[in-house]
Amino acid sequence: MTTVLVLLLLLAAGTYLVAVLEAWTASGRFRLAGPVVAGIALLGREFIVPRKPDRIFFEVAPVLLLLSALLAAAVVPLTPDLIITDLATGALFINAALVYVLVALLMAGWGPNGAYAMIGGWRFLGQLIAYAMLIVMPITAVVMRAESLLTTRIVASQAGLWNIVYQPLGFMLFFVAAMALAFLPPFDLPTAKAELAGGVEAEYSGVRLAIFRLGRLALIVTLAAAAVVFYLGGWQGPWLPPWAWSAIKILAVCATMLLAGRAMPRVRDADLLHWCWILGIPLALLNIFLVGLLVLVLP
Amino acid sequence: MSAQTFFIGFFGLAAVWFGVVVFRTHSMVRSALALLFSQTALGALFLSMQAEFLGVLQIMMMATEMSIMAIFMVMFMMDPGGLGEMDMTHQKRLSLAAGFVAFAAAVAAAVFVDWGPVAGVAPDAAQQTHDLGIELLGRSMLIFETAGVTILTAMIAATAVAMPAVKRIGNK
Repeated sequence: MTTVLVLLLLLAAGTYLVAVLEAWTASGRFRLAGPVVAGIALLGREFIVPRKPDRIFFEVAPVLLLLSALLAAAVVPLTPDLIITDLATGALFINAALVYVLVALLMAGWGPNGAYAMIGGWRFLGQLIAYAMLIVMPITAVVMRAESLLTTRIVASQAGLWNIVYQPLGFMLFFVAAMALAFLPPFDLPTAKAELAGGVEAEYSGVRLAIFRLGRLALIVTLAAAAVVFYLGGWQGPWLPPWAWSAIKILAVCATMLLAGRAMPRVRDADLLHWCWILGIPLALLNIFLVGLLVLVLP
Repeated sequence: MSAQTFFIGFFGLAAVWFGVVVFRTHSMVRSALALLFSQTALGALFLSMQAEFLGVLQIMMMATEMSIMAIFMVMFMMDPGGLGEMDMTHQKRLSLAAGFVAFAAAVAAAVFVDWGPVAGVAPDAAQQTHDLGIELLGRSMLIFETAGVTILTAMIAATAVAMPAVKRIGNK
């Protein structure tokens, strides 16, 4: 029980820092109080419900987004002992939980009965068809090396050499796909501020929008934590205690994700699909093949 | 009654209830997502029966599949939003009869098939994953591969049918 509370608090702290980082990458101003002010402002506003909504979807979507990020975080270890549940299917479970991000965005798109929101929601379905294989196939290669789906075993398997060096191709594919999953720029097709006026977020306001944004930030932290566990050796590192290494690495991955997209133009959905299937999937298969060879050849 | 029995019953009933919801709603997206939650409840049912890998796999696969089905239902039905209150059922007598026969067949299979001795204790989750892998790449390889190739063929055929004719003929 204490582990659950500690991890939830850490996730909240991580989410807060990522909110500060995101505001900094977007506006260039580093304000530690920024998220608090923005949160209070959202809670102080009117809670608008659009005309003729699908009420169940409209209410459930923000909560489901947050819930899927939290569930995925439950199998991510910060130290050998600091993990909510070390499932025997951990690496698969992360996927299973994160697929419900799509369901949440579909609901958020369909629920409010608005054109921009609906286009945003369906766009994310197309985006999933582009990125989904590039999440699953690199994880397959990671699992092949660890010979286990347990996330703690996956970290332990990187004791001699981190996976970012062992399978750099897999890391790059996973990193890009994770950015697409978290709909970060340049893959922010479902929200696309400039062309869809916020897309799936467009019809939300007040506390529902606050939960939606919280869910999205928690999703970024969870994905960064997953990238650290799969490729950056998890809690491993010299001098500092394990939790500190996990924290530093997760924040570094978050910052890289947030900064990487800022300088790029938004990718068109058709182009994303094209490149993911023409280039991404063959590379992911090549990665699996190479890792298979390495596993067989190296002791 | 043990907690396990309770959860098996609970998720079983949830699966049936969401299955009913599929036909009670008029909205195509609600219908598709109700089917998703029916399947998710089945995944949870597997989990409460200590079949961890199957449960997680079911919960993962269905989310994508049912979401994709949702967009097809929206594209092909004349009233996707359900505001016209289109009836989701048709050929009621035939459906009732077919449903009853299928239910009776499933019950008969469950009762009359000799399932062999019941396992006293389920192997631990990691062992199950291992055993499943050995089974899929060993004895069940042929079935597994046949299913895979059939699905791939269907996908290629569907894509070929969906491509506009102009592009296939080409005018280079």
